[in-house]
Order: sequence, then structure tokens, then C-alpha cells
Amino acid sequence: MQVADRNREARSAAVLAVICGVAQLALAPNIGLGNGRANFALIFSACVALLVGGRRAVLVGFFAGLFFDLSTTGPIGLMAFCLTVSSFLLGLEERNRMSGDLAVTLALFCGADLGVSLVYHLAMLLVGQADSLLDVIVFRTLPTALLTAVFFVPFAYYFSRMHVSGSGLGGGHFGKRGF
Amino acid sequence: MPLTGTRRPSGPTLGNARQGGGGGALVACVIVSIALFTASCRMGDEGPLGLVRGAFQTVTSPVRYLGSTLSMPFQGLGNVFTNLTADQQTLSELREENERLRARNVELEEAAMSVERLQGLLDLQDVNNLQSTAAHIISGSTDSWSSTVTIDKGSLTGVSVGMPVTSSSGVIGQIVECGPTTSTVRLITDENSSVSAMLQSSRLQGMLEGTVGDQLRLSLIPSDGSVSIGDVVVTSGLGGVFPKGLPLGEVTSVENAPGAAYLTIVVEPYAHAENNEEVLVITSLTEEQQATEEDIAAADAQDTKGAAAAGEPDDSSGEGDEEGAAGADGTGDDAYQGV
Repeated sequence: MQVADRNREARSAAVLAVICGVAQLALAPNIGLGNGRANFALIFSACVALLVGGRRAVLVGFFAGLFFDLSTTGPIGLMAFCLTVSSFLLGLEERNRMSGDLAVTLALFCGADLGVSLVYHLAMLLVGQADSLLDVIVFRTLPTALLTAVFFVPFAYYFSRMHVSGSGLGGGHFGKRGF
Repeated sequence: MPLTGTRRPSGPTLGNARQGGGGGALVACVIVSIALFTASCRMGDEGPLGLVRGAFQTVTSPVRYLGSTLSMPFQGLGNVFTNLTADQQTLSELREENERLRARNVELEEAAMSVERLQGLLDLQDVNNLQSTAAHIISGSTDSWSSTVTIDKGSLTGVSVGMPVTSSSGVIGQIVECGPTTSTVRLITDENSSVSAMLQSSRLQGMLEGTVGDQLRLSLIPSDGSVSIGDVVVTSGLGGVFPKGLPLGEVTSVENAPGAAYLTIVVEPYAHAENNEEVLVITSLTEEQQATEEDIAAADAQDTKGAAAAGEPDDSSGEGDEEGAAGADGTGDDAYQGV
């Protein structure tokens, strides 16, 4: 029988939210590749979706996207839409898909990352916030996707390796029971 | 182990409850996000969404500030690396741009100074209610005997002989020759120049005359008059040529020779034509800019007193103000006949 530790899950989610929130506000604006910036809201929502999935992941994706929209100058609701859909798709199986399988985790995330980045920047092109398709694809979508994937790697590593091995590393808040 | 149709979760579990797929949440969140997106595109930064964003950014600004502060050393490091790897073409381009910007900067500074001078003229025009037209000094004297400048306004633009010329710092002189497009201005420092003037503080009337050394001499001030170094000398308005009250210069020395009827006063002019490029040509005077009857009476009385002290006959035939002690240039509406 598995015991669900809701409090621990909530605490872990809160810690991850704070880390990604601070990174989005403080780190992302100062690290750029071309015109691309890392999307920590996507990282947060993808972690939750790949670890938990289901309704919770969809809600987390929506609010994370909203956080991202409020912190930028783009239209509010666009990233919320993108992350809602990506979280739903990533969390369809409603199980921990990150444990012990780093490669699959990264592959899944990269697919979602590229999709979200492409949809977001194309929408910005359509509403007139960007100038050309070349600019959108080459100088924004690809650099953003690449940076986001790079920053996702440590999170993926933690949740897929260290998180599973639990007691050997002391566990801490995350322990064996998971997220 | 119960047989169920549900698939057993693999790996560490996160709870014993499935969340129902999230389809309902998906639909709801998608609808809300599309509604927000539509509203945001329509309203832009105005409306409640703009307010919410503003409040959010205000609340999160300390975190942003912290991030930019912590990243500053690394940005500097990035610049160092960029500079180290800059190639010759980049350096050449930067040098060219630097020279171009330097030249442009000089132009802009020149323009800024010109603006300042023009603003000074404008202020002068407004404060003194001068009926005037602006002009530029285009050249200085062509000989060593006269102190004149040439301006770029002439008879075609309404300028005529006798009109006074001033700058924002003080009176320059008077027009003595007038062509269609240019005019010659005799400076107040010219030996042949004389302007009816008075001391601003004591209201003593006199004549401000040019000398050889580019200084001015204020004559006809009685020896018992109250004059101090630093006193301001202004136009008196007598003669109806120069408006009353325009600054001329400042007293730099006062000598009272024993037995002399008048003081020997040296005045440093405020305006230096070589430093002025924009000037005002005063085209007409209003009634309040001319000397009043009281001023004329005071001047007559002073002359009478001075003449008596000097033991000379009184000759107070109409004070006028003018160029033209030499009289040959026909300057001014009322040439000063003088003592």
C-alpha cells in the first residue's frame, strides 16, 4: 500500500515553484542566446506534469503560464494556453515518468519545449509583436528552446537519478516518496 | 493483489489516487487562457489586465533587481571576452564611428551654444518689449581705423541707417551704412561713437564714447556726482535712437582730477562683438522706451550745473542720442549736437 504524503508533495511543489519563479524573474532576463530566453515556467510545469500529471499538472501549467505572461510584455494568456496544453499532454499517463529514465525524460521535454516555443513565438508574430518569420524561428524559437532545454537538464537529472536513489543521498524533503 | 483494469504505476508512486485525467481542467483552463489572450490583445496595457501586470511587476521588482545586480560582473566579463576577440574590421569600424560621432558632437555643441544665444536674445526682446529683427554678424572691420562689424540684414529687410544694434549681453552699436542685404554697424567702442547714457543707480546722465583701446569713457558726469566702481551704465533714451535702459557696460575706474568739472570714468563694455554672432536690430521704439520729459529736464539741469562749474556757457539744445560726433555718417534720427 502506498501512502500518499500530500503535505510533502505540496512542500516540494512549493519549493520547485519558488526556485523556478526566482529563476524566471532574476536569471532568465540576464542570460540570453540571440533573442532567446530560458522559460522556467515551462520547466516547472513540465516537472510537475512528468512527475504527477493529470488535473494537477494542467492547473500548474495554467498558473505557471500566467506567471510567465505577467512577467513579460506579451499578451496575457498566451503562455498560459501553451503550458496548459503541454502539461496535459505530458501528464496524460499520470505517473512518474522521470524516475530512472533521464533520456526519455529529456526527449519528452525537448518535444514539448520546441512545440511551446514555436507556438508562442508564431502567435507573437500573428499579433504583430514580431517582425519576420525568420526572426521568429531562427533568432527566437530555436535559441529559447535550446536554453530552456539546457536549464531543464539539472532538474531532470535530479528527479530521475538522485530523487529515486533516495536514502543513499539522505532523501531530504524529496525522499523516496516522490514529489 | 486485486485484479483491476487499471495499469499499475511504475516507479515510486505519488499517491494512491488518480486525478481523473484532467480533461475538464484542460477545457476550463484553455477557455480562460483564450479569453485572457483575447482581452489582452484588445485592451493592450490599459484596463484591468494592465493593472494586474503593473502590480505584479511592482511586487516582483526586488527579485529582478537582485538578478540584474548579481549578473553585472558576469556581463562585464562577457564584454571583456568580446573585446579580446574583436577583429581588425570591428576596430576600424569603431574608430570610424568614433570620429563621426566626435564631429557630430562638435556640431551639436555649436548648435546648443547658438540656441543659448538666441534664447538670450529672445529674452531680451521680451523683457524690453523691443521691436526688432534678428541678424548675424558676418564679418569684422576691414581696416584698423574703425571698429565696425557687418551684419546680414539690409534695406530689403527693413533695416536702415541709424538703427541701434544690441545683443543679449548689451548694446553693440549703431548702423552707419546700409546696403540691400548687409549693413555696417559702428561699435560703441569706436572712437567716433558716442551714446547717450546714464548711471543706473544715480541716474546721472552723460555720454559714453569709444576710445582707441576698445574701452569706453563716460563723460559729462559732474565731479561731485556719486559714482563707484561696478556701477552699471545703461542707455538713457535721450535722442530717441537707443531704447532706454539697455545695458552698456560697467564702471571700472573713476578719477576726479583737482579742479576738473567732470569725472574721468572708464567703462568696460558688456558686449563684445567678436563673441556675438546673433544680434538684434531695433527697428522702432515705443513711447515708454524713449526718454521722458522729466529725463530731459534732469539732463538739462545737470548740464547747466556742470557748465557752471566748468565756467562754460550753457548749450542745452535738445539732447539726442547719437553716433556722429564726427557728424559725417548721418546716423540716427536725432543726432546729438552735444556740448
